[in-house]
Amino acid sequence: MSHEKKQMIGYACAYTPVPLIDAAGYSPYRILPLGDSPDRAGEMLHDNLCPHVKRVLDRALDNDLPELAGVVFVNCCDAMRRLADAWRKARPEHKVTLLDLPATDEEASILYFSEEINSLAGTLSEWRGTQVSPETIEKSIERFNGIADSLNTLKERLSRGVLEGGAAAMQDLFNTAATTASGDALSVLEKAVGEPESVSKNHATPVFLFGNVLANAEAFQLFEKSGAAIVGDDLCTGSRAFCRIEALEGEDVMMRLARGLLRRPKCARTFDPSLPGNLGDEILARAQACNAKGVICHTMKFCDPYNARLPRVRETLREAGIPMLALEGDCTMRSMGQQRTRIEAFIEMLG
Amino acid sequence: MYYLGVDLGSLSCDAVLIDENESILASSVVLTGARNREAIAGATADVLSAAGIDEKDVAATVSTGYGRDRVERRTAAVTEITCHARGVTALLKGTQVLIDIGGQDSKAVKLDGAGQVTDFAMNDKCAAGTGRFLEAMARALEVDISELSDLDKGASGDLTISSMCTVFAESEVVSLIAEGVEVNEIVSALNRAIATRIVALVKRISPSINGNSVAMSGGVAHNAGVIRALSAAMQTDVTVPPQPDTVGALGAALIAKERSRQG
Amino acid sequence: MIAMMLQYFENIVSGLEAKIKENPDGTNARKKYTLETVRLGQRLYSGTDKVAWCGVTVPYDVLAAMGVTSCFTEFIGATLANSGLVGSYLEESEHAGQAAETCGYHRAVIGAAMKGMMPTPEFMIASTCPCSGGVAVMENLARMMDRDLFVLHIPQEENEHSVRFLAGQLKEMTAFVSAHTGEALDEDKLREAMQYSNQTRDLLVEVYDLAKKVPSPANGRLMGNFGIVAALFLGTRAGVDVVQAYRDEFKETVERGASGVPDERLRLMWIQNRIQFKNPLVDMLEKEYKASIVIDELNDIEWGPINLDDPFTSLARRAISVSLNGSVSRRVNHLQELARDYKIDGAVNPCHWGCRQGTGSRGLVQAGLGEIGVPVANLEVDCVDSRNFAEGQLRTRLEAFVEMLETRASPLRQSA
Repeated sequence: MSHEKKQMIGYACAYTPVPLIDAAGYSPYRILPLGDSPDRAGEMLHDNLCPHVKRVLDRALDNDLPELAGVVFVNCCDAMRRLADAWRKARPEHKVTLLDLPATDEEASILYFSEEINSLAGTLSEWRGTQVSPETIEKSIERFNGIADSLNTLKERLSRGVLEGGAAAMQDLFNTAATTASGDALSVLEKAVGEPESVSKNHATPVFLFGNVLANAEAFQLFEKSGAAIVGDDLCTGSRAFCRIEALEGEDVMMRLARGLLRRPKCARTFDPSLPGNLGDEILARAQACNAKGVICHTMKFCDPYNARLPRVRETLREAGIPMLALEGDCTMRSMGQQRTRIEAFIEMLG
Repeated sequence: MYYLGVDLGSLSCDAVLIDENESILASSVVLTGARNREAIAGATADVLSAAGIDEKDVAATVSTGYGRDRVERRTAAVTEITCHARGVTALLKGTQVLIDIGGQDSKAVKLDGAGQVTDFAMNDKCAAGTGRFLEAMARALEVDISELSDLDKGASGDLTISSMCTVFAESEVVSLIAEGVEVNEIVSALNRAIATRIVALVKRISPSINGNSVAMSGGVAHNAGVIRALSAAMQTDVTVPPQPDTVGALGAALIAKERSRQG
Repeated sequence: MIAMMLQYFENIVSGLEAKIKENPDGTNARKKYTLETVRLGQRLYSGTDKVAWCGVTVPYDVLAAMGVTSCFTEFIGATLANSGLVGSYLEESEHAGQAAETCGYHRAVIGAAMKGMMPTPEFMIASTCPCSGGVAVMENLARMMDRDLFVLHIPQEENEHSVRFLAGQLKEMTAFVSAHTGEALDEDKLREAMQYSNQTRDLLVEVYDLAKKVPSPANGRLMGNFGIVAALFLGTRAGVDVVQAYRDEFKETVERGASGVPDERLRLMWIQNRIQFKNPLVDMLEKEYKASIVIDELNDIEWGPINLDDPFTSLARRAISVSLNGSVSRRVNHLQELARDYKIDGAVNPCHWGCRQGTGSRGLVQAGLGEIGVPVANLEVDCVDSRNFAEGQLRTRLEAFVEMLETRASPLRQSA
């Protein structure tokens, strides 16, 4: 493996086929909605738009980015589509491409998505000046599967309350995995796996956390300070971004990527039309598997895909006797501080 | 043995002292102002001297309210949601839904028969539906906030304030006054505006509120007009316990007693 | 509930039929348009039609050829807003947990479904264009009404591969429809529907061309919702008739030397959707300022005629090429083109509350029109929720905007 520093390609959605970017000779860099960039995105787009999209755009406008060769956006929702549009204006020097993402996880969608990913491979090859090969992509998939495996080991430790640094440390590791070259990320994770387990702190109430974006490690400290033990998560800046991509017999590598991405735990924007309203059942199953006493949902304000599905999720959990607390964030710790009372009251309620 | 509850809110710091039988020995409401420490000390000193007991006889203290972490001599800090639930159940047995409209936020809490919280919803982002809304309107109407309670008398109830936002609603009220609209109609519309916000909050935790036993606490519980509008909107009676301002501190004191058992 | 709506539609139908009878030689363009719209409402609520609830970018002409009465769900939101009844439906959905900051069209639809005001369809077809919110409503309705749902994924870019993919999906869609209606797609009926669509299209192009005249035969009332609703009439004889009436009326107005707004002084472009509930803004613009809305963004034909021998490819191109689909640069280019062609003095963007795909581009659209010297008034209004309509503020904003337009000469007017 070459030791020269690879150029970086930015991305902002967990549906991005990261191993493909890696295989194409780039280092995938997730542009996380962190930092102190001033609020300017609202003027370029609109104020009442997903804070995740706005914070990412703010970083571009503030030049709070490493040097990027280009950015791969995904058409996962309206706000992301607008982000891609705004980016072309904010950073005209970047190469930008938009990967189309089907709305459902049906077989026909997987096929279509594999063709889109194939097209992306062509675009990345053009940018790089060398053709990316299926074998290289397979190797990258395995490397990222290794990252997923290490993260799973650490998540399991967290669920037992024995991960040094707790949920905040776990989020730091997720963030590192998302922003560091795969080889380096693997080293960091293997080191963390090698650390001894910490002493378990009992008395914390087991809670399952789902939603979309929550990248601030501090937010997880807040949950733990309020008495919650995060025994499982379904967030796109957490577990959802790092799932193993398995191989089906005889399937080509593009189909493998497409299926691996579309069939992983879903963002609310993806659904199976034959099972409308099923997100609640999926969340319930995951929460029960972790023996969670309650579920905390954390989503971005103005998120249409999640807003539309939450009432049914809450109902499904309620029917199963599991209370749910819904929090809306804006990617700053400002909003999390206000949530403290809600989180504490929720934990007190769970008893 | 005695147990102390301290509720440090944005407007007032309330303290309640109870004994082993859970009888209220004394209560105090002090303006918080800018100096939390002094307000806490003042309210605490008030109840101790009124009950004639010494600080060292207080077995446990629970603090609540947004400033609960600032009460130094506390056994535990518990949120106002949990404390209000306990407090109101002690005063009004069988309460199923509690509505608390404070200066800066409003809450709807669902209770089981024993004062335990089973669900809750809060509005702390927007002034509409809180005491702040009424303060702004009282200013626009050039009346004291305490006068608002019965100013809606005789109104036909046909007027609606359309603005969602407190700032715009204030402008709307100023325009209405300039147009010569009667004060009672305006106040009636304002009461209904608050009721609409609160009902939306209540429905989140209790979709079929009709027939539930509903209680109210918080500063706005002194406003009979708002209570009337709430009852009408929910088609259910709203009961205000005696001393609605100290419900949170009472709940905190009761929890203090509970926690000291657990040692 | 359903019976109430049916009665509501029936009353309007008889009223309009009577008025048209009173003036049989007149073109009656808007009356005919409204009549056809309300007749659609009647069919949707009849209880005997095969009804399909759909997304916006679904081929209504194909469904008409298959004997299905179809409509986009947002139609109900608009109808409720127009009738002044929408408040309680919005409240119902919000109390059930639908966030109040989402699109009012969709909240109204969920509220209507909860209150039994939404006729239960045979099946549903969602389209991913124009928005995520629209797809989500379809998923929710499919669950609430326990009906099968087909999802049409509209690709972002128009190329050989994407067109072939969508054409394939459209064919699958017809198989889905057949499975539910028990009737296969009749090739002759499809051909006929496509011919009607092409005729309607040609007439629409004529209508929009005539509207370019200075002064324009168009005005706010005539063109409100026209393009969006006309899409529902594609593939039918009735669609041809309605648009023909418009063409004839516009032609006649122009020949008379008259205009949609008498003594037209200012020419405005309306972006995206109209405000669906009764409000005095358009009247104010026309009467007090002689400002005419001569073009709406959505009142335009961006698709070529359907190839009768390969309709699905043409239909796929039609869906993908809508400028609300894909990159916003398409939308900006389209708006710039319209602004030039219609010699616009200024544009009004209602910035519909809760609209991420549309209002989310507000800044880029404003900048794009600014590049060619066209100012934009951003209103920030909920086009469906009349409860939050701040009339005074919106009036002031529009008045100030128009006063500004009156003092400057539009750079687009000066060109030949």
